[in-house]
Amino acid sequence: MSGTAPQPQTGSRAGEGLLTGIPSQPGPLRAEPEAPAAAGPAPAAPRPSAGDLLARGLELFTGRPLARHQAAALRICFALVVLLQLLREWPERRVVYGDRSAWSLDLARRLTAQDHAFSVLLWQDGRWWFEACYAVAVLAAVLMLLGWRTRFSSVLFLLAVVSVQNRSILVGDGGDNIVHLMVIYLAFTRCAEVWSLDARRRARGGSAGALPGVLLWLLSAAALTAAQLTGRLSWRSGDWPHLGWAALLWTMWAAAGLWYATGRWWPRGEPRAVLDALGSMVHHCAMVVIAAQVLLVYTTAGLYKVQGSRWQDGTALYYPLHLAYFTPWPALSGLLASSMLLVFALSYGTVLTQLAFPVVLWSRRAKNVLLVLMVAEHAGIAVLLGLPVFSLAMVAADSVFLPTAFLLWLGARSRPGRRAVT
Amino acid sequence: MTATGGDLEAPAEPRHWSRPALLVLTAAGMALVTGTVALLAGCFLQSAPPGPVTQRYQAKLNGLVMPEFEQNWKLFAPDPLQFNIAVQARTRTAGGDGDWVDLTAGDIAAIRHNPVPGHAQQNLLRRAWDFYDSTHDSEHGPTAGPRSELAEQYLKRIALQRLGRTGPGGPVTAVELRSATVAITPPPWSGQQQSSQQSGQVQYSELPWWPVSDTDYQGLA
Repeated sequence: MSGTAPQPQTGSRAGEGLLTGIPSQPGPLRAEPEAPAAAGPAPAAPRPSAGDLLARGLELFTGRPLARHQAAALRICFALVVLLQLLREWPERRVVYGDRSAWSLDLARRLTAQDHAFSVLLWQDGRWWFEACYAVAVLAAVLMLLGWRTRFSSVLFLLAVVSVQNRSILVGDGGDNIVHLMVIYLAFTRCAEVWSLDARRRARGGSAGALPGVLLWLLSAAALTAAQLTGRLSWRSGDWPHLGWAALLWTMWAAAGLWYATGRWWPRGEPRAVLDALGSMVHHCAMVVIAAQVLLVYTTAGLYKVQGSRWQDGTALYYPLHLAYFTPWPALSGLLASSMLLVFALSYGTVLTQLAFPVVLWSRRAKNVLLVLMVAEHAGIAVLLGLPVFSLAMVAADSVFLPTAFLLWLGARSRPGRRAVT
Repeated sequence: MTATGGDLEAPAEPRHWSRPALLVLTAAGMALVTGTVALLAGCFLQSAPPGPVTQRYQAKLNGLVMPEFEQNWKLFAPDPLQFNIAVQARTRTAGGDGDWVDLTAGDIAAIRHNPVPGHAQQNLLRRAWDFYDSTHDSEHGPTAGPRSELAEQYLKRIALQRLGRTGPGGPVTAVELRSATVAITPPPWSGQQQSSQQSGQVQYSELPWWPVSDTDYQGLA
């Protein structure tokens, strides 16, 4: 789906009811795949040509953001994961990420001098800079959860989470890794189209409440300028492809400004439509990346496991159940590990679900069954291995594959008596 | 690939783009698709076992993926860890060498019956030891240049943070660490040969003494 680069539509009757073939309600979206035109006599009913299909693909790529509910679910879930994680670490935050860390600022700076990881926590010594940044990270997670000024919040969220993690990269685990990736990808999605304060404000209409947005935009400019003048942000990075954080952040800032300006003074003009289309394209690419990322996690986890002799003989699960670091409930773990058949079934079940996921995805029903299995497995891991945040992060990542109907049902249930703001 | 239906929406009437708009959209679309494919290819290659392709494009691959898109999904794979590794430490003071203190035992005690173990107990020392182990050979010689040194100082500071400034005989002048490895007994039904390390038996691996100065305590409070 990412192979549909937009091309000038002059040859494909662009603009002549391209969307008429797409039902405006749930239903099969796809046109029947075409046999090559040469195979047999032309049928009576007109069938879409390759050009029409391409044009339709382009319309979808540049049109209204797809998978809005999945994007919103990802936003809410990962904001929640980060919020819970930051609050969980709150009592030990100074030892884990802050001024009392055994991984001193000096050590962290020496490592990032090699790998060029980004962290605002390394910009300044002392306790209070750290405390302020940590508080901002908590705030960003709350704003992201609520979907307040999400264009701004999602970038703040990205910078805050990446900064906290990169300050002490060595205390992270797989859960931190997936969160790290997702907060980056999410900043490029339009994840507040539904289930957000932004959506509610848009539904109420009008340009009322534009002021906070403008202020945030100006504040961002001031912060970016200050960071750049003090040499903490730069346009170029040392490694290929030489794109510094400043380039990314200023581009986002400029896009937000243009967006607001065209919407305010030229809402029906073409520049605004172009920006909308660009936003959708970025959103669609980011959603594809998120989905592919989740598949990559499960596929590699599965493929690495099938090479291990303990996974092959079906005893693998026995060992984590005897690792002191991963047995908060030793009696329970011991009980589970004492059953040969259970250990075998769960070991093989883990590998099979991980490997089956990308294959099963093409069948909606089988996918949903597997999603339920995945969630159950992660719930088990959360309790048995004492990895609740990791498990929650994986479930959050899975939510990109949840069916829209289920998300809508969940959304309707979670706010009884209120009109949906979709 | 994700379900997309669901919203009732009136299809906006198709837009006739002007030539400049088409140009912008085409260029942006191609750049976006290229970038997406490149990123995904990079993430894929970084997860795949190394081979001639990864070797030839190593620099570009690292530039694209590292550090922010790093992938490591060998979760309990290819084989789960089959040892319990404890990190122990002792201090030297003017009054002699102190007793070994099991630093890992404190972590384990904090994790027991805790529904939400934190990074300070579950990851900090465990991953610091992994970092040290992966940057040193079995004779405790450095194998990764400056990274080995970072690992040593990190481990030293973790030990000092937990042991404190003074031992029984005055201020700490040096610290020594060792790992205590116990193989997990294979399940009785597996018929696996006991590894050469008899299960239940502790294998120690002692690190050299590291001198301690005041600067090592900086910020440890």
